[in-house]
Amino acid sequence: MNKLIRVFLVLLLGNSFLSAQDFKVKAAGTQTFNFSDENGRNHVSFFSTMPLEDITGTASGVSGTVSFDPANFAKTLKGKISVKVASMNTGIELRNQHLRGPNWFNAEKYPDITFEIKSVSNVKAIGENRLEFKVKGDFTFHGVTKELTVDTEASYLEESEQTKKRAPGDLLGVRAKFNVKLSDYKVDNQLIGNKVAEDIEVGVNIVGSNKL
Amino acid sequence: MNSKQKTILLIVLSTFVVSLLVWQIFGGEIFTKTQVLVETKDELFGWTEKKWENKFVWGLDLSLVISGASVLIGGILFFLFRNRKNYNQY
Repeated sequence: MNKLIRVFLVLLLGNSFLSAQDFKVKAAGTQTFNFSDENGRNHVSFFSTMPLEDITGTASGVSGTVSFDPANFAKTLKGKISVKVASMNTGIELRNQHLRGPNWFNAEKYPDITFEIKSVSNVKAIGENRLEFKVKGDFTFHGVTKELTVDTEASYLEESEQTKKRAPGDLLGVRAKFNVKLSDYKVDNQLIGNKVAEDIEVGVNIVGSNKL
Repeated sequence: MNSKQKTILLIVLSTFVVSLLVWQIFGGEIFTKTQVLVETKDELFGWTEKKWENKFVWGLDLSLVISGASVLIGGILFFLFRNRKNYNQY
């Protein structure tokens, strides 16, 4: 009988853990996480196919803030993340210059790529203080703004000796993946005479701190 | 074709073959790179992150430039070292 009760309690606890849609942390009230990173560890990666060779690159010029109440995550999440076009790197300097140049992303005229959060849905707990959700927001690229839904994963780490090595305060790690169709943002898919795939796969790996 | 011209031809062909071999040894990339992306594990969050590492990768473009230059230089030398005896015959 005792065994049965124990199994029932474990199942009950497990269920309440999995259905949790907020962060269970000490911090109370609205927390603002700053994603500016002087060390350039925060990055956005992109991948595209070309007839001769695929392009894999990163952009490390990430900045912006995200704020939310850990106890009411889905309803309070807001913020804006920016990436500097000039920080894009593909490993080949000549290709970088073309990428940032006026015929492609035009870093001079459109220096930032931004994503502004509008709403959150489908929040699921996938671990301790780890949530998976969909974020709807305004994505601005090459001077064009379009609504985009992004599959996102966020991990909340409370300040510890380990986290202090990265940054002071509680840390929020965000991972996201989405596709960008170049023609939607009025970008010609020709790079140095080669046709680049219409869709660019974008991956986001950023960590923010609430004490930066 | 005199012995000097044969030597030039041999050097040009060797340069071409060696540059292609080096290209293959470096992984057969199309474009030469000075940086490569490597994936590292983030111990804190457990995910993989991409990082640029300074590394030279020989590309096909470099092999073609070297081969082209050797053909050009070899061609000029081939012409300069031509057998001049032929002119005296006429």
